[in-house]
Amino acid sequence: MRIFISGGAKNGKSMFAQECAKKLAKEDHLWYLATMEPRDDEDLARVARHRNERAGWGFKTAEWGRNIALHSDEIDCRGTYLVDSVTALLSNEMFVGMAGDINKAAPQKVAAELLDFSEKAENVVFVSDNIHCDAAFYDEWTDSYRAGLAFVDRALAEKCDVVAEFSCGQIIFYKGAELI
Amino acid sequence: MELIIGGAFQGKTAYVKENFVISDEDIFVCEKDSAPEFDKKCIAHIERFSYWCVEHGFEPAEYLFEHAENLQDKIIVSDDISCGVVPINKTERAWREANGRLLIKLSKESKHVTRIFCGLSQRLK
Repeated sequence: MRIFISGGAKNGKSMFAQECAKKLAKEDHLWYLATMEPRDDEDLARVARHRNERAGWGFKTAEWGRNIALHSDEIDCRGTYLVDSVTALLSNEMFVGMAGDINKAAPQKVAAELLDFSEKAENVVFVSDNIHCDAAFYDEWTDSYRAGLAFVDRALAEKCDVVAEFSCGQIIFYKGAELI
Repeated sequence: MELIIGGAFQGKTAYVKENFVISDEDIFVCEKDSAPEFDKKCIAHIERFSYWCVEHGFEPAEYLFEHAENLQDKIIVSDDISCGVVPINKTERAWREANGRLLIKLSKESKHVTRIFCGLSQRLK
């Protein structure tokens, strides 16, 4: 089973994703795939908060911030993985080296690697973010990232069995509601 | 009229081409710095037309209904620009609101309103 969840910030995505993963997991094959690479104290505090929120749920943690394909030997083929988040993974892959550098091939790479990963694991729940509904004109750098994230989201949504959006804690299904 | 909305880069144009069997030649893509044309079957990025209207002192809904013929046969596509922070720039603030008013009007007049999310559709009306 593959599940894709997106929506705006603080709308209930993560909690629902955790519940889905917990329900799908067999025995102790429950994994949290953390993709954020902490860069400062604010990031470290966020990681600590997320760890607290997962405490007692039985998640084992894999910290793979980039190059998911390099970890293919480590994938628990009976595992249920919560991938949090697509957004952070793409950011790590896209913005490398000096400020202003963009790896324009990153969206294709991330989409292909995540889909390949999801075929090797038993269940995967992807969490992404809807950053596409505002009235702003961005620089080319930021807009490349917005387009790239939408590319990865569309590729995942096409293949996933369940696609849902969260809005103020409510779920909107685009497909697979009957599977949940 | 068919109204298709959704966030930027969500696959709205691809959805229109596939579901209404039209090609690029049938689509007019609005630009924020040039006057629109309404003779094609599909009017895409109408939010850019709204921006052009705001800059030229027009109300988008009024302008569109006055200047476009056979609107009832058109497919209209707009980015959803309604979320996010209120823009600090005055023109952009006015744009966001004018586009909202336009979409409410178009939504009322449309036979169907469809929202695209990650390439998948949701029927709102």
